[in-house]
Amino acid sequence: MTGGRILVVEDNEKNMKLFRDVLQATGYATLEASTGEDAVELAVAHSPALVLMDVQLPGIDGVEALGLLRADGRTESIPVLALTAQAMQGDRERFLDAGFDGYISKPVDVADFLQTVGAYVSHD
Amino acid sequence: MAHPEVLEAPSAPHRRAVFGRLRDRLSGVVARAPASVRTKLLVAFLAIAALLVVVSVLGLRELGQANARVERLDALQLRSAKYQAIEATAEDLQQTLGVRTAGTKSLTPYTGGVTLPDRGRIWTLADLQIRDVLSQIELADDQYDLAVIGFVPPPADERVLRRIFTDWLTISRVVSRIQQLDKRSAHGGGETRPLLNTARVAGDDLQARAFDLASRAGSETKALVAANRSADASSRNLLIGVSIVSVLFALGLGLVLSWSLVGPIQRTETRLAEISAGDFTRRLDVPNRDELGSLARNVNRMNDELSRLYGELETTNRHKSEFLANMSHELRTPLNAIIGFSQVLRQRLFGAVNEKQEEYLDDILSSGNHLLSLINDVLDLSKVEAGQVELEIADFSLREALERGVVMVRERAAQNGVHLSLELSPEIDLVSGDERRLRQVVFNLLSNAVKFTPRGGSVAVATERTGGEAQISVTDTGPGIAPGDQERIFEEFQQTDVGVGQREGTGLGLALSRRLVELHGGRIWVESEPGHGSRFVFTMPLARARS
Repeated sequence: MTGGRILVVEDNEKNMKLFRDVLQATGYATLEASTGEDAVELAVAHSPALVLMDVQLPGIDGVEALGLLRADGRTESIPVLALTAQAMQGDRERFLDAGFDGYISKPVDVADFLQTVGAYVSHD
Repeated sequence: MAHPEVLEAPSAPHRRAVFGRLRDRLSGVVARAPASVRTKLLVAFLAIAALLVVVSVLGLRELGQANARVERLDALQLRSAKYQAIEATAEDLQQTLGVRTAGTKSLTPYTGGVTLPDRGRIWTLADLQIRDVLSQIELADDQYDLAVIGFVPPPADERVLRRIFTDWLTISRVVSRIQQLDKRSAHGGGETRPLLNTARVAGDDLQARAFDLASRAGSETKALVAANRSADASSRNLLIGVSIVSVLFALGLGLVLSWSLVGPIQRTETRLAEISAGDFTRRLDVPNRDELGSLARNVNRMNDELSRLYGELETTNRHKSEFLANMSHELRTPLNAIIGFSQVLRQRLFGAVNEKQEEYLDDILSSGNHLLSLINDVLDLSKVEAGQVELEIADFSLREALERGVVMVRERAAQNGVHLSLELSPEIDLVSGDERRLRQVVFNLLSNAVKFTPRGGSVAVATERTGGEAQISVTDTGPGIAPGDQERIFEEFQQTDVGVGQREGTGLGLALSRRLVELHGGRIWVESEPGHGSRFVFTMPLARARS
């Protein structure tokens, strides 16, 4: 079974490279956005199977972008995971309360990261 | 048609409201008086003292008047008695004159009922009797004399008294004449009869006037007694009235004064309680122009200053929080790439790595993880120091919390060949605290113990109840800690030589543990002897027994 694509939203180039390479090496197809606005546009255009959303972004932040995705009928049912370096006490609860489907803190453990993603999307 | 409730008496709350307004107005007047509390108290005291003096003076005056009334009555009673005596004697005189005029038979009273032969002697005795009775009217000897009367009669009485004296004088002269006649003739001759008539006419007049005087004095006495009684009653009423008014005035004065003092004190106290609870939004309104007013102004100034400082503190704290959050984020972002790429290579996602490369990758990974622990611990410690760690205090099962803590190090212990055991006191059930933070402390102690205990050793977690606290200990069979290090290791970035040699740990775990235990109101310490292992102990408050 072929899974959909994964939209990675990340403004740090090196981290983007890491996630993209790891996902692609594991067999996922990826879409990339470095701003919240681009993320929403790509999500509407390509209906990815999963969105990995950084929170601290230039322009609108990840939480606002999530709100836009949820407000749009075409994207409202796409699962969105927060992928963030905001990992202080209480942050996990804060993001889950904000409506994210899951939470992955940076720095990620690659194995855990792939396991979490795999729970949402199957790959080739 | 009137509504029924319009006809009803004012309800209790309404009366209270009216009373409250009256109280506020009166105490407001006193409060706004520009004088110190001491002056106000002094004035009130003096007013009450003055009132006492007024009541006393009034009482003395009334007492004096009552005495004067009694004296007047005494004088009147004396006069009245005198008049009555004159009246009685006048009656006797009339009787003796009547007997003398009537003749023989009537004279028997003077002879014990025996008719004596010598009638002339009997007349003489009768006349002597008349003279004797006459002398009992003590008005004068031979002329009218007030000194003989013994008091000064009022003018109206005096006119009558003079008339009585004239009558008396007439009778006295007549009796003298008759007595001369008695000596000359042996029997009561015809010459005496007209003289006796003259005496009797004068005696009638005297008696009538004496009766008039006595009855006038009698009714005067009655009137004076009645007047005195009513004067006594009204002076008594006046005194009672003035006393009641004084007491009410003193009470009212005291009440108003105390309202004007107690009200502001109560308001100040309430406001201070609010300020200490962190409410700076309201101001204290005290109208007093005395010490209490100045107290209120100072409370308001303190409120404003505290409010300003509190605002600054909040801003500073917010900046500090933001700084910590930003730092955490900024440090984690590059670490993500460092750890992530190392893991990718280590897992050979993009091809083979040789042995040396794998070793270096492990070094990068462990250094990266170490750095991550440091970041976490530093941030945790900063938050504790900034007072930004808020404990989520709840009652929880100590047993379950410790079991979870043990699970977290079980794998590591197994790898190191260290035996882990849990010996829980059945005396302890629930403790009160932040479970997550307690687990953090337990995990720190356990991972240290497991780390430093050589293969084949053991680590034991035990609990014990001491007083109102739960004591949790982690005992290992590791190398032990030198006495000189036993305090130091709880400070930031301080490790034993053994710890430094391990090249593991941030040197912050025990410092953080100590802060967290102290935040719970507990203590943490270590008992150790080099070569004989270590025993780390900390205390937690027990959950309050539910009733």
